[in-house]
Amino acid sequence: MSAPGPVSEQDLMRYLDGELPPAERARVDTALDASPELRAQLENFRSLRAGFHDLTFPPAGPDRSVWDRVAVRVFRSSERMFIGIGVGLWLAYGAYELSTGRSDAWTRVAVGGMAIGVLVLFALVIRDRYRTWSDDV
Amino acid sequence: MRPELERELIRKCRAGDPRFYEPLVRAYEPAGLRLSIAMMGNAEDAEDALQEAFVKTYDSLHRFDLRKPFGPWFFQILRNQCRDMLRSRKAKFRVESLDERLESRPADPEDGPERARQRNAARELLWAGLERIGDEHREVLVLKELQGFRYAEIAQILEIPEGTVASRLFHARQALQAALVELGVEGP
Repeated sequence: MSAPGPVSEQDLMRYLDGELPPAERARVDTALDASPELRAQLENFRSLRAGFHDLTFPPAGPDRSVWDRVAVRVFRSSERMFIGIGVGLWLAYGAYELSTGRSDAWTRVAVGGMAIGVLVLFALVIRDRYRTWSDDV
Repeated sequence: MRPELERELIRKCRAGDPRFYEPLVRAYEPAGLRLSIAMMGNAEDAEDALQEAFVKTYDSLHRFDLRKPFGPWFFQILRNQCRDMLRSRKAKFRVESLDERLESRPADPEDGPERARQRNAARELLWAGLERIGDEHREVLVLKELQGFRYAEIAQILEIPEGTVASRLFHARQALQAALVELGVEGP
């Protein structure tokens, strides 16, 4: 019978975690039979794994769920999207009215002023978002 | 949760209805919280990271490839969120000593108080050992030992080849063993 190939650290981990195909497992089994050091190393890793089995976590109950906090933010982002679409349509209509020149001068000034105000507001929101993002990175 | 149901929920969320996000959050919250607590070391930071990850996931749903499973993709976002928070000044891996949120398995009726004390002590030592090893080692151990992911799934979450997963696990386990020895745990 030929000697088994060397068992790499990756082979050993795959063996321990049940990720090796049967043929490879047999090769590692043979190597384990032949090497007390390798057996001892595997046993060390096995007992380390056993320690993790004692650790569990409490299930997330309805009282502790993060959903409420997540919901506030995802619903807000949907609302923002609809407001954005609404404002976009309103601005487009305003631009159309201005370009066709059907409105009187005062109406055009008022609509233009409001449009500029909305754009400035958007720019400020984007700037704040960018600052927050920069602080996070 | 069945993959086809997940896909349907994601489609509805993409169509602009966030109500359909709730079942996804509820389904992935327990596993997400385990991963997050294990990476952050304490429940407060873990919940912040989890919440942030769910929001980022929602905002990125339009980029999600519906042919792939949702779980690994979400855990990838969560893992990145935990790492970002650990890197930033906001949080540092910090283990709450025998925190009430990190509960052990229900006590075996045959276990006496002495056995329960030993289990608690072993658990504390394990967390202390995890605190001592690097983030990269801790996260791969957590994904394998606490989440029970297969190598292929870990590879997807960590964005590394499967061979690297095995290799990193080897070094992580060695590092944890060394940390436990430093803490006075006798080798088996």
